[in-house]
Amino acid sequence: MKLKRVKLNKKGVTYEGFILPQSNDKTIVLKLENGYNIGLSKEGTSIEELGEIEVLPKTKETTQERGEIAILSMGGTICSRVEYKTGAVFPSTTPGELMHNLPELEKICSFHTKSLFAMLSEDMAPKHWSIAANAIKEEIDQGVDGVVILHGTDTMHYSSAALSYMLQDTPVPVVLVGAQRSPDRPSTDARLNILNAAYTAKGPIAQVGVCMHADTNDDYAYFHLGTRVRKMHTSSRDAFQSIGVNPLAKVDFRNELFEPRCNYDDRGGKLKFNNEVSENVALVYTYPGMNPKILDSLADYDGIVIAGTGLGHVATDPFKAKNVKRVLPEIQALCASGIPVVMSSQCIFGRVNLNVYTAGRMLQEAGVIGSDADWTPEAAYAKLCWVLGHEKNQKKVETEMMIPIAGDITPRSVV
Amino acid sequence: MEEPILKCGIEIHQRLDTGKLFCRCPSTLSEDEKPDLQIIRNLRASESEMGELDRAARLEQEKQLDFKYDAFRRNCCLVETDEEPPLPIDHEALLLVLGVAQQLNMRVVDQVHTMRKIVVDGSNTSGFQRTALIATNGFMETSQGKVGIDTIAVEEESAGILETEKSGLKHYRLDRLGIPLIELATSPDIVSGEHCKEVAEKIGMILRATGKAARGLGTIRQDVNISIPQGTRVEIKGVQDLKLIPKIVEIEVNRQKNLLTLLEKLKGVQPEENPQVMDLTEIFANTESGLINRGIVSGQRVMGFRLQGHKGILGTELQPGKRYGTELADYAKTAGVKGIIHSDEELSKYKISSEEFTKLRENLEVGEEDAFVFVVAEEGTARMALARVKERAALREIIGETRKVNQDGTSAYMRPLPGKARMYPETDIRAIDITQTTLIEAKQRAGEGLDAKKKKLDDLLNPEMAKRMIKSRHLKTFEKLVEMGVEPMLAAATLEDTLVALRREGVEIKNPETTLSDLFEHYLKGEFVKSAIIEILPAMAEGKGVLEILEERQLHKISGEPLKKLVLEHNKNLGEIMKNYRLRVDAKEVKELMNSL
Ligand SMILES: [Zn+2]
Repeated sequence: MKLKRVKLNKKGVTYEGFILPQSNDKTIVLKLENGYNIGLSKEGTSIEELGEIEVLPKTKETTQERGEIAILSMGGTICSRVEYKTGAVFPSTTPGELMHNLPELEKICSFHTKSLFAMLSEDMAPKHWSIAANAIKEEIDQGVDGVVILHGTDTMHYSSAALSYMLQDTPVPVVLVGAQRSPDRPSTDARLNILNAAYTAKGPIAQVGVCMHADTNDDYAYFHLGTRVRKMHTSSRDAFQSIGVNPLAKVDFRNELFEPRCNYDDRGGKLKFNNEVSENVALVYTYPGMNPKILDSLADYDGIVIAGTGLGHVATDPFKAKNVKRVLPEIQALCASGIPVVMSSQCIFGRVNLNVYTAGRMLQEAGVIGSDADWTPEAAYAKLCWVLGHEKNQKKVETEMMIPIAGDITPRSVV
Repeated sequence: MEEPILKCGIEIHQRLDTGKLFCRCPSTLSEDEKPDLQIIRNLRASESEMGELDRAARLEQEKQLDFKYDAFRRNCCLVETDEEPPLPIDHEALLLVLGVAQQLNMRVVDQVHTMRKIVVDGSNTSGFQRTALIATNGFMETSQGKVGIDTIAVEEESAGILETEKSGLKHYRLDRLGIPLIELATSPDIVSGEHCKEVAEKIGMILRATGKAARGLGTIRQDVNISIPQGTRVEIKGVQDLKLIPKIVEIEVNRQKNLLTLLEKLKGVQPEENPQVMDLTEIFANTESGLINRGIVSGQRVMGFRLQGHKGILGTELQPGKRYGTELADYAKTAGVKGIIHSDEELSKYKISSEEFTKLRENLEVGEEDAFVFVVAEEGTARMALARVKERAALREIIGETRKVNQDGTSAYMRPLPGKARMYPETDIRAIDITQTTLIEAKQRAGEGLDAKKKKLDDLLNPEMAKRMIKSRHLKTFEKLVEMGVEPMLAAATLEDTLVALRREGVEIKNPETTLSDLFEHYLKGEFVKSAIIEILPAMAEGKGVLEILEERQLHKISGEPLKKLVLEHNKNLGEIMKNYRLRVDAKEVKELMNSL
């Protein structure tokens, strides 16, 4: 990118510096000699051009020989840097550029990088999970020791769940990693997270998971099971938490520590690959006073996941109280039309149970799936997208949904 | 040699008494409080938007990168711990800066852009200090003509360092982080040390006149920039006492002059390409030197190298009591050693024997005109320290430095002058458009300004006291007391004279504003007389209440009937009455009474 060097004159005062691209019709944004940016309104300003400079990010020449670890980039803060036009963070860093700032990585493993997408994770759709799963499979087929996926944090837990279904019995670790502080900051968590993720990718646990800061300190990380991890804070380093289970492992590459915290799958499994997905599944959060029409509008979907209240409830109104907006008839109608309707809980922690209250029983009778499952709404959604990718029969979908895969449903809620 | 023309400017940082700049925490401090949370973080300098890594930032990077922080619930939130994006800028702080900018005839920018100034010494959890340039191109009138005000910015205060642990881990406290600072820099228009002091004083007064300048130790800091022809800009940081400024300027001018003379002497001496750093530990196997022996016993090494053609150079005095060798030592210290030992020193003060000295010269192949330098430290530290010394000694010009002021007015090298590459846009905060309405609001918020305030004081006080009060850190308290109804001269004298007199006796009034408000509230009710004030205050300093003190010391004012009785008892002898009841009666009232009886 080129920046113009100029001398601006405004009411007798001259300003010298570079014109930055976030300037618009009204305002010129100038980078002054002293490093500050200021905005000056164009009105009454004369501009004298002094020259131009080329500003290019330094990229390390990566020879791209194949390494032990494949680092695949799907975008997100972890691959972001400043975008000049808006002055905002935008995903644009190539993995090669990122690794330039991580000399320690070479000490952990040899690696090669590949950019799949440069996108914000909130923009992702099930199709992107499929493409990523395919890229990972190709890497596994070519014999890598592990895969690290750079990913935006907002929907990283959806992707980790989806990849858990698509890449069952993976023979090598598949480690998703993100950053809550962008890599252009000295305090970024990207560095420690990536290094711990690479260390995990070389480790013994051949499962799909998320590796992120364990707490607010810059010391160790946790490797979380892909189907049971969730972003639980908007901004903190330790936003990712295992829901209802222990993390798979504590990871601290600086002290060469890799400490499994529960039973895990060893390396060497035989990959069961299936990346077909339905892109026509809804995830609905219910709430007091929800208009039943919302459910009516879902009749064209392949499947629906509800994040219900408590044990997995919606307004069923068994006692015929006043002023209740029942949504039960709409759910009954959806189920009757052959659409799988799956229940999860907006409590996040705990198990769905449709046997305790009349409301739950009425939902079960209507055909709602999910009683006794302790899945997260996001894992249930990713699972339904995946199951519907290869199975449309409502009964068979129900059966398949309830079979635990990659630890998404646990048999017992451990104290 | 002709007196060199001085180029001097000053930079002032004043803490503001508003909420924190980028979060909604109060700007309070937590001295001696137990932290609610301790965290460990690691910082790494990143590249700036222009793609260069700043020299000062790079130097910090070589050092320890782990830091420890104490956080307190009552004045720290996730913004201070770098766990949450910043909130919009504190509106009051912005208005104050805009107001001061207008008072200083400055040109306010049309749109304020918050920047990140990269600082990886750990004093900011984010690794940068947020700062925004508000205005440029102003000036102020001084006794020596106009002095330009180049820039005014608002920025966040850094975290305060508690200690550097033995392991090298720096330990900070987060309460101070994020308190707003006005940063104001003058042009290099200052012509002398005295002038510099005048400018600093006047800016301080202007800032205090807003009524929102924080008070107390460390709330205002001055950095003085000095250069002479053929010299270069040197920034002397951390000037607390304005009275010291003329001396600081004089010493720095002389230091640069002395360096120029020294460089003249070094003209023919080429810096050695790669002076060999040698391990000299063997020489001191049986040393008498406690310093060296202690080091060796604890596993440290003695390492040094030769400086060709430097005999006598290291001993040249640059500042009072500080030689060129000290300058090199200051560079070495930035690598973590305690100091250096060099051949222009009296080595016997370290109990280094002449035999050891000879061996040192032999080992390092020191010739007649050469000098040598060595350090005692762990090998890595020693090598880094010597590399710094080598780099400094190879310079054949005066380079820009940031220096730290010492109490005697001399200064010591801290780090290279930070360059402009430290700036990076703060992407989490949107640019703020400055409208006419904002500017008018700012004018009102920042108050009437220094000149108007001066005029008001001239009306209230005698000229001498008015002059003192405008400079006083108690100005705000004075205004409050006057507003309460206290006679201006009494309020001023209590603040400026009584408090000082008490401090000399070791009585410290911790919070003058609340204590004096309390005292004068009772005074205005007629409970005691003026002369009792100096008796009451020391007891208040111990935490006692006014009524309790009056009771205990029998200081209640005598007036009305009891006073009449007293006057009659003493046969209207004023001298006698005042002698015995000075602390309890009002002379004026006694006189009036005597006349009426
Ligand atoms: Zn805060």
